[in-house]
Amino acid sequence: MQLKVFFFGATADAVGSRELELATVETTTAQSLIDQLSQQHPALVKHKLLIAVNEDYADADTILNDGDELALFTAVSGG
Amino acid sequence: MPATDFTELTTDPIDITSVARRVVPPECGATVTLDGYVRQVTKGRETLHLVYEAYEPMAVKEMQKLVEHAKKEFEIANIGIVHRLGKLEIGETSVVISVAAPHRRAAFAACEWLIKELKRTVPIWKKEVYADGEVWIEGDLPESAVVSGQAEK
Repeated sequence: MQLKVFFFGATADAVGSRELELATVETTTAQSLIDQLSQQHPALVKHKLLIAVNEDYADADTILNDGDELALFTAVSGG
Repeated sequence: MPATDFTELTTDPIDITSVARRVVPPECGATVTLDGYVRQVTKGRETLHLVYEAYEPMAVKEMQKLVEHAKKEFEIANIGIVHRLGKLEIGETSVVISVAAPHRRAAFAACEWLIKELKRTVPIWKKEVYADGEVWIEGDLPESAVVSGQAEK
């Protein structure tokens, strides 16, 4: 299945990109996707990460579906 | 034009007065407005400028959720929130929150709640640029949805 992953701020610096398109073949949770990404981008997991799936906060166990849009980011600092 | 709620992101300088006046309905007598701006010295380090970045569609959704929640919890009429993105110089306004209410106590309480929750939940990030380096600021983690690389929760 195809997934789009967005990165911002510190996670974008860690991955070197603000957007990646990924293909996975198995049932994937958010955590397993992060594990997959961290193999190519080890700097990603130097940070405690928050997860959003389709623009809503999600947890690591969330099962991903084809076409889902993920975002991985550090604790927010707006205001 | 009737006063209404609004939650916006912009890259333009924010006109605080215009934000404050947009929330005013006829039954209200006071608006509480927070003007958050870039400080020059943070923890002893001097800032050259800030950069703000957002996950824009989710940031607008989260700000709208805050507005809905605040309107249920506090006796207030209208809320306007505008957050600026991009490069901001010292002294420039990064966020304005205006709350109009029939009575000022609820307006103050709601405005304080809104800035606290915005800083906790809305996907916007601030980068501090110093003379000798730059860093993306990490806020406080919310109770939910936290993961590190080693799958601890």
